[in-house]
Amino acid sequence: MKRLCLLLTLPLFPLLSTNAHAASADARPALRASTCSVRGLMDDIRRGLGSGSPSYQRYLRTLLREAAVTLPDAELRDAFARETEPVMAEHLAAALVARAEREADTQSMDVVAQRALHDADPAVRAATLRAMRRTGALERTGDLYERMVRDESPQVRQEAATNLIEDNAHVYAGQYGPAADTAVTAAVASTDPAVTARILDNLSTEKISAESADRITSLLRSDDASVRKAAVNALGGVPAEQMQGARESLLAMYREETDDGVRKALLQSVAQLGFEGAIPDLQRLRAMDPRLAQEADAWIQVLGMGLQEWSLLLREKQRLQQAP
Amino acid sequence: MTPESLHRSSAPAPGRRVPKALAWLAGAALLVGGVALLSSRGGDGASSDAEAGGTAAASREAASGGRDHGGRAGAGGTHDEEPPPPRFDDAVCWRELERFDAAVTLENFRAWAAPLLASGDSLVADYLAGRLTELIGQDPGRASEVLSWARTAGPDEFDVLLTALRGSEAVHHAQVATQLLAQGMDATLDGGRRAGLLSALDTQKRFEPAALDTLTSFAKDPVSGEAGWAATRTIARVMKRDFEAKGNAAPYMDALLTIGTESPDEQIRYLALSTPMHATPVLDERTRAQYAKVLTQEGSPDGREAAAHNLSISGDNQQVLELFAQAFAREKETCVRWALFRFAARASGREALPVMANMAMADPRFQPIYQIFEQLYASGLHDFVRLWNSLPDQDPFGCLVGHD
Repeated sequence: MKRLCLLLTLPLFPLLSTNAHAASADARPALRASTCSVRGLMDDIRRGLGSGSPSYQRYLRTLLREAAVTLPDAELRDAFARETEPVMAEHLAAALVARAEREADTQSMDVVAQRALHDADPAVRAATLRAMRRTGALERTGDLYERMVRDESPQVRQEAATNLIEDNAHVYAGQYGPAADTAVTAAVASTDPAVTARILDNLSTEKISAESADRITSLLRSDDASVRKAAVNALGGVPAEQMQGARESLLAMYREETDDGVRKALLQSVAQLGFEGAIPDLQRLRAMDPRLAQEADAWIQVLGMGLQEWSLLLREKQRLQQAP
Repeated sequence: MTPESLHRSSAPAPGRRVPKALAWLAGAALLVGGVALLSSRGGDGASSDAEAGGTAAASREAASGGRDHGGRAGAGGTHDEEPPPPRFDDAVCWRELERFDAAVTLENFRAWAAPLLASGDSLVADYLAGRLTELIGQDPGRASEVLSWARTAGPDEFDVLLTALRGSEAVHHAQVATQLLAQGMDATLDGGRRAGLLSALDTQKRFEPAALDTLTSFAKDPVSGEAGWAATRTIARVMKRDFEAKGNAAPYMDALLTIGTESPDEQIRYLALSTPMHATPVLDERTRAQYAKVLTQEGSPDGREAAAHNLSISGDNQQVLELFAQAFAREKETCVRWALFRFAARASGREALPVMANMAMADPRFQPIYQIFEQLYASGLHDFVRLWNSLPDQDPFGCLVGHD
């Protein structure tokens, strides 16, 4: 009988325990403002990774970056040096980058860059690179990107490419020549065609130097069609001083080019370099390859609208081709 | 406010090293000649700092005068002095926020969030708005409940509630959008609250004709004030989204032109006239004619500049050049003349040179600038952006930044 009673009462304990926990969870949390510490923040972030709330995770990430400038420097660096889990290393690297960005620490960017270059784990190298994304790191890290695009890990190389693309687009709005030049140098230095093509396909070359334009031109001879196509795209947007050279290189290339995609890109870049002045060139290219006559005609029609900005011409061409 | 004035949240915070990045963004803004979509006339409870390209933290710091206080020599400092090392305020970490996050519900949100809101910690306020957006989800009933709280909420809570609603999936539900609009039209609420409600509609994908009519009639009403300004900005933002997604600009352009010509409030008129430049639709004949009227009849120079900007993307370049030539001859304001001059090039490229030459004959201050344009076109340039980037001085008359 005693045993029966015990058996009957046993299941009650977990129920009671759950109810007690539920009651505690329903109770209003005793929210209190406190001083931030490296350890406390890292614990919060580690536990927060399991939270179902993206807002909470975003808050913790932002909080660490905001708090970074007043956290003890040595403690932060030690935590970063010891951390081997990529996601946590990324948070700590972002905090160190934030310190450098706000001039709280002149050396912390180097610490992050060295880890990106030398950590044995490619996932940590990739994570550390992500921590530098959409910041001014590109201006403070010398030849880091030239080296990162040659990393043995494809993931790391792609992260480096993403940084170069996003920094140029979102931090510098495509308007800062040295940042674009850094991206071009890295694109040319890479031996991974996917990386080279991706950078050049997504970079504004509006403010690049003559040296960068020459480097891109050298890629027109690449064996890889995706690289040639990206180089052609990039040359379409060069500054006024490089326009004539780019135009001549592209026109000279058209006859020998065998890839349809590259030829299409050539038509577009010739249009971008010449606007309505490119119409005679496009008519000549049209005659060389009847398969692309429709594409050439579309460009000729859009350029004839007399619009004076490339973004508007691109938009109108898209509209034209979507029209029923 | 001017077409070229910079949004205050774009200004770098003291001690934060992002000047180059922002300088280039500012340069891009100069080219298009306006950032009015990003500007704010007053607190509207549902701002869109994310659209300004800066981080939320940077915006907060700029708006509050900076979290950090050092970094640069202040007034009275000399250039020889070493700038003091930057000093920063401590961030706030909240005990039990993890438990808050795990257990908060729509039912207990207001009570639980109250101490966090009362602290004035802007980071945690951003979190609360995001968390509330998650709690609302796609449920129009939950969105309606949150909206009902907004009527009586204090200013800080109101901001969180409206920011949460604005970012939610449920705000796209017709029932919620209709309620937001109806509350925004409620004359018993104060202007700031109505502005916040109407601003929360700016994430809509499109406006049906009835909603657009309501917003337009309200915005041009002489007493609409701050809320009318917010309604105008909301129309412009939705137009940009609808135009980019579906190519649909005409009804919004009509609405903005109505406000831009009929509102007695100069700031609202200017906002209505300038915001289409962000969507950059090619003007049809009727819209062109309406902007031509603005160019000759608008009393505010900023409004006339905005009209010139919009007219420079037009289906009839020759007509626009003639219009600019006539307007230049009548125009007394240097900055409007400079707008007519440069936008003639944007409208017609090198074909505008004879008209620009005549402008320079009429006003000799434009002679050296004309020669630069002539040389650039002779060098083989065709497009306006490359031409603009090649100008040695993009602001020869001090018109583009801060000429209030």
